[in-house]
Amino acid sequence: MRSSAKGSRADGSPRVRPLRPLQHGFRVARALLASQYALMLEFRAEVLLWALAGLVPFVMLAVWIESPAGAALGMGPTQLARYFLAAFVVRQFTVAWVMVVFEEDALQGRLSPMLLQPLHPFWRYLASHVAEQAIRLPFVALIAALFFLVLPWAFWLPTPQRALLALAATILAFLLNFLIQCSMACLCFWSDRVNALERLIFIPMLFLSGMAAPLEAFPPALRRLAEWTPFPLLVHFPAQLLAGGEMNIAAGFTALAVWIAGLLLLVTLLWRAGVKRYGAMGA
Amino acid sequence: MAPSTSPIILAEGLSKTYRVAAKDPGLAGTLRHFVQRRYNDVAAVRDVSFQIQPGEMVGFLGPNGAGKTTTLKMLTGLIHPSAGKALVAGYTPHRRQANFLRRITLVMGQKQQLLWDLPALDSLRVNAAVYGIDDAESHRRIHALAEMLDMGNELKRPLRKLSLGQRMKAELLAALLHRPEVLFLDEPTLGLDVNAQARVRSFLADYNQRFGATVLLTSHYMADITALCPRVLLIHEGRLFHDGSLEALTQRLAPCREVRLELAEPWPLDSLRAYGEVESCEGMVVRLLIRRDALTAAVSQLLADLPVRDLEVRDPPIEELIGRLFVQGTLS
Amino acid sequence: MGNPLGRYLLTLRRLWGTALAMQLEYQANLLLEVVAAIANLIGSLLLLSLFYGGGRALGGWSWPQALVVLGVYTLLEGITSTWLRPNLSTIVGHVQQGTLDFVLLKPIDSQFWLSTTRLSLMGLPEIATGLGLMIWAAAKAGIRTTPWLLCQTLLMLLASGLLLYSLWFLVATTSIWFVKTWNAIEVLRAALSAGRYPISAYPAAVRTLFTMVLPVAFLTTVPAEAMLGRLTLPWLLLSLMVACLGLALSRAFWQFALRFYTSASS
Repeated sequence: MRSSAKGSRADGSPRVRPLRPLQHGFRVARALLASQYALMLEFRAEVLLWALAGLVPFVMLAVWIESPAGAALGMGPTQLARYFLAAFVVRQFTVAWVMVVFEEDALQGRLSPMLLQPLHPFWRYLASHVAEQAIRLPFVALIAALFFLVLPWAFWLPTPQRALLALAATILAFLLNFLIQCSMACLCFWSDRVNALERLIFIPMLFLSGMAAPLEAFPPALRRLAEWTPFPLLVHFPAQLLAGGEMNIAAGFTALAVWIAGLLLLVTLLWRAGVKRYGAMGA
Repeated sequence: MAPSTSPIILAEGLSKTYRVAAKDPGLAGTLRHFVQRRYNDVAAVRDVSFQIQPGEMVGFLGPNGAGKTTTLKMLTGLIHPSAGKALVAGYTPHRRQANFLRRITLVMGQKQQLLWDLPALDSLRVNAAVYGIDDAESHRRIHALAEMLDMGNELKRPLRKLSLGQRMKAELLAALLHRPEVLFLDEPTLGLDVNAQARVRSFLADYNQRFGATVLLTSHYMADITALCPRVLLIHEGRLFHDGSLEALTQRLAPCREVRLELAEPWPLDSLRAYGEVESCEGMVVRLLIRRDALTAAVSQLLADLPVRDLEVRDPPIEELIGRLFVQGTLS
Repeated sequence: MGNPLGRYLLTLRRLWGTALAMQLEYQANLLLEVVAAIANLIGSLLLLSLFYGGGRALGGWSWPQALVVLGVYTLLEGITSTWLRPNLSTIVGHVQQGTLDFVLLKPIDSQFWLSTTRLSLMGLPEIATGLGLMIWAAAKAGIRTTPWLLCQTLLMLLASGLLLYSLWFLVATTSIWFVKTWNAIEVLRAALSAGRYPISAYPAAVRTLFTMVLPVAFLTTVPAEAMLGRLTLPWLLLSLMVACLGLALSRAFWQFALRFYTSASS
């Protein structure tokens, strides 16, 4: 990812007017976001349906509220309702779908022209994710409002600190998920059946991220195991921040930072090797 | 057409009107559209009538959007006519009765029914079952059709590995396996190279001969029509403009013929005007447009009066005539 | 050649042979599907076990009884990827590319054709694990299989499969008007994931919703009850009725959509 920011300098062509990197980056970002937002606006019906497809936390909430297991956990109905709503919201803004799009771009032959541009393709995908989230925002707000209409007793406002921390954690969680997807998308250079991986990665995402059950409910050994994976950071950590649960905040952010740094390195290496291979095959 | 036998395709006052929702662009337009829908009626086909006898090969001409495909879809029963009546092989098409569907076929040059990842032979086996053709018979038919189409092992290779021409031949084979009496062909040679076009053409002629099948064919390539269809229907802006031979169409579209003269010496332009409309006069080469009914007289007069070295009478190419018609969008 | 039933059966055999050939053509990674099925099973079991710590039970269902429900759910997931997804997703493609015309011109029922053309091996591992879990859990719950019980279970599984098919087909049919509604299938799938647990595990209001509006109860709980030998006759009949109703509805809706397609398409 980092190499891409330098892409415009590394292409070797003489510059007409030297732009400061920051200024240049800002311009590119604005243009990308504007175009991707316009594009995503065309797909708003799909975005709404995708948002609705994330309703698993609500189904799970229904089971947890009815079961005595919730009470045994020390989470009353209010706390459970807040947790699962927070999990739904966080999940909405951490979804990434780089792999599917990248694979299609590669198959349809759109990759080669993208490689010729002095902009890393992943920036484009990042912009379209951000644009999609902007479209999602009103839908998610509407669903949350409906939720409080049905369960008014669950209503809460997080403290300003918690809200800010949750926002930061959600953004980082999204970046983490985005990078996980990017690293797998890079495998497209080696295999044409990468979409099968999408299915595999969805399984731990469902069971270990906290979407289906708060991690506090896991047996201790399983919870420790889950916390060695990045999945709880994607939903459980930001959701608990938002819902006001007890959290080791510093540890969570440290883990996010470490995972993001590691994946950034991995994606850079994989991308370089992949592009080299792509070039060697003369595609 | 002498009505000695009953027509196999009959269209009587066939019309199709689409209701198209009108929406202004932009968010405001979308909202207004949501509150109060406005519709425009678009007449795709208006009051088209014709009859086709069994065994005829008829070309169906017209510019894009003239209503050719809509008419074909009404005749195959894919869409309901808004008004008028269609009768194909004695059936009302849009009821789509099994016995009707067994008698017809539709080939669309730009769409394919065969499975992309599999050899055509697999799709053919499925079709044989669908149409209730037993194995021995379907073998015989595949073999015979493949021979007519000059196909061999291609049928055993996955479709995606075939060239466009081979794929089209396979599509034809699949469309004809149930030996339909009526063939509707929509641009069957679209995108094919000249050789492949010629092969498809000779196959269609051959099929028509051998099985007495009726063919209604649209094509952008005039060569398809001139080679195959003694009779053409020209549809323009949804209306039937011409029903008859290609020659008659040429006469209608171009009431004049072109006479090209090569003279031994230059001749004053004014005296040439007496024979017909002067199209061009470059040195000693003159091109005149002369009305068909006055042609014989004018030519003998020319030969008598002028020092003619060479004389040639020809029709303006039909492609050009129809092309001109389509571009202008108006008919005189 | 003469009787129509024979023609449909032969077509079906040919279609499925073709579908399998297509799978081999792309050499689907079945091993990966086996891994996914096992991982899914482990995840589901773990999740379910969270409700059973400390002698608790879920909606009055014992652990092995709840496992039967989970088994039925897994089986249905497998059927979805083997049968429903590969077939019904082609409707969208047909509408987009205009090849639905070819389907409509075949002298064969178009709903039959669109619902049976494809068959994927992808769901086989899940079908196997689902069936295995059902049988093992029923034995664990102390059920002695009698022919009557077996018949009842198979009948209810059939009803549940047809109901699931009807729901999918209803959603797929809407793509005749709006190609984009295919994504609604993901919403349906998410909602049907409620079928992992017996219906009595849900609060009363949700239970009503999952019985009357979105018939999740008939998909997994009812067949599981049948297998556990405690399905009452009224429920059995009701389940059959719901399945037939769903089927009839999907058929009527398809005919209606087709009328729209054939009078409006260009």
